[in-house]
Amino acid sequence: MWKQQRVTILVLLASLAGCRGVDQSSGDDAVDGKPGARLEKVSLQLNWFPEAEHGGYYAARLHGFFEQEGLDVEILPGGPNASVIQKTAGQQVNFAVANADQVLLGREQQAEVVALMAPLQSSPRCIMVHADSGIDDFGGLKGMTVAMGSGKAYARFMEKQGLLEDVKVVAYSGSVARFLERKDFAQQGYVFSEPFVAQQQGARTRNLMVSDLGFNPYTSILITSTEQLDANRELVHRVVRASIRGWQKYLEDPLKVNEHIHSVNEEMSLEILAFGVEQLKPLCLPGEMAAEDLGQMTAERWETLAGQLRSLDLLGDSVKAADAYYLGGLSSPAVD
Amino acid sequence: MNQSPRRWITILIPPLVLLLLTMVVWQLAVTLLEIKPYLLPSPAAVVEAAIEHRGELFSAIWLTGRAAGLGLLVSILLGTATALVFSQSRVVRRSFYPYAIALQTVPIVAIAPLIVNWFGEGFQSVVLVTVIISLFPVITSVTTGLTSIDEGLHDLFQLNQASRWQQLVKLRIPSAIPSLVTGARTAAGLAVVGAIVGEFFAGASVTERGLGYFVLYAVPNLQTDLLFGCVIAATLLGVVMFVAVSVVGTHLLGRWTAEMETH
Repeated sequence: MWKQQRVTILVLLASLAGCRGVDQSSGDDAVDGKPGARLEKVSLQLNWFPEAEHGGYYAARLHGFFEQEGLDVEILPGGPNASVIQKTAGQQVNFAVANADQVLLGREQQAEVVALMAPLQSSPRCIMVHADSGIDDFGGLKGMTVAMGSGKAYARFMEKQGLLEDVKVVAYSGSVARFLERKDFAQQGYVFSEPFVAQQQGARTRNLMVSDLGFNPYTSILITSTEQLDANRELVHRVVRASIRGWQKYLEDPLKVNEHIHSVNEEMSLEILAFGVEQLKPLCLPGEMAAEDLGQMTAERWETLAGQLRSLDLLGDSVKAADAYYLGGLSSPAVD
Repeated sequence: MNQSPRRWITILIPPLVLLLLTMVVWQLAVTLLEIKPYLLPSPAAVVEAAIEHRGELFSAIWLTGRAAGLGLLVSILLGTATALVFSQSRVVRRSFYPYAIALQTVPIVAIAPLIVNWFGEGFQSVVLVTVIISLFPVITSVTTGLTSIDEGLHDLFQLNQASRWQQLVKLRIPSAIPSLVTGARTAAGLAVVGAIVGEFFAGASVTERGLGYFVLYAVPNLQTDLLFGCVIAATLLGVVMFVAVSVVGTHLLGRWTAEMETH
């Protein structure tokens, strides 16, 4: 009773603070679900409009992997302001897709979220330039106008490296229109997305990979709240297992899933999605990495990221990297 | 003269007491209900964030303030000039005035990216967005002021065969000063909004970051305490501009209406 009142007061104050409204229904149901009966309802919030980077989750749903684990997963599309960390920490959704730096920064603000698996091992974050601009490294961005999301950790990283001196940083609207118009323009993007869209419009592009600078946080990882993990660890294991299978399937055989993604996000043509999958393969399974190991995360990468964020003054000392991720789901055996 | 200090006290004390009470309730709520900082930071956290970022915030307030101030000035001058034209020609007024009213409702968040597209990123676009959002209240209120004049005074001027110019300078303009001040006050508050929204779309460079940049920075990094700090800074900026406009306005009012009475 008191907890519900607390939640109500929290909701009222949160709406005062300008947060969007809260739907409390699905969270509690899933936590107390009885396995083996009907399918448990679970929500998964995406961090952007549905695209190739979310393919594995759609694959898990379409190919029945979630169902085989007794789950009915609702995949919620996101957008430019998908507040995935807040929604997950606030129990408005059970699971979400976010980036590792968001997880650490959220934990700094006491948003208790924890990372579960990393389908992408290498960050797809890039700065896209025109092929004939003569720019072949980040140093060449001087004097240019670059559309980047203000305040994102990678932007601060670039700034600290001195790569944004004499660079005019403008807001990124989500469209490549401005890039197509101007030669002295560059913009942020994900290597499997914007470059192809630009190429379809006749531009020739080159990608400067931010991971080449040494900043390579796990990107588009699956997260949940600490509360969810503690309340029903078994559920979390099932979601992770099914998601891994979904990703393995998506990388091999994406067509049916891409058709579905296209149906929920018409901006993503089948061509872009097919291109996306091709770009994703080396990011998900770089080098000699085996498909069974898909989704793995290492403590070392998390510690490196935390150190980098601290040196950018984005993270204090109170947040421990080790608390930000949970590897149990990756090695949990299937329960029949 | 002895009244003055007491009057200031009666004006300032009640709002200050209310502010203090609000802060206490806010702090208690956050502490007792254990509200997480990313949802609602405590007043202490907001103050701490503001102090931690004080250098950057001061620069931001200065930059946004310059854009808002310049935009407001242009709006007042341009708006007054437009209103003068409206007051002198009924045809022009009847044609254009309805649009001036309608354009007050255009959503600035939709206009700002267009402006940036046409005029490029940077300070000039921020000022332009500010002008657009704060122009129309000035036009509408000054036009009303110039055209709604006392019937008796108007007849007096007509009887004495005053020229159009004399009517304008000695009757209409002095009558319109109060409306101008009202319009300028509204415009002042809007100017700050316009500057910040302009900054959302017009971007920033590493050395030039306004309040708009810090809002965009605080949100994805869940730094709600800094976000609150920005909100407070923006509010203070609006208040300062409002007070400045009021003070200048009262001074002008005093001068012009005094002139009116002696002639």
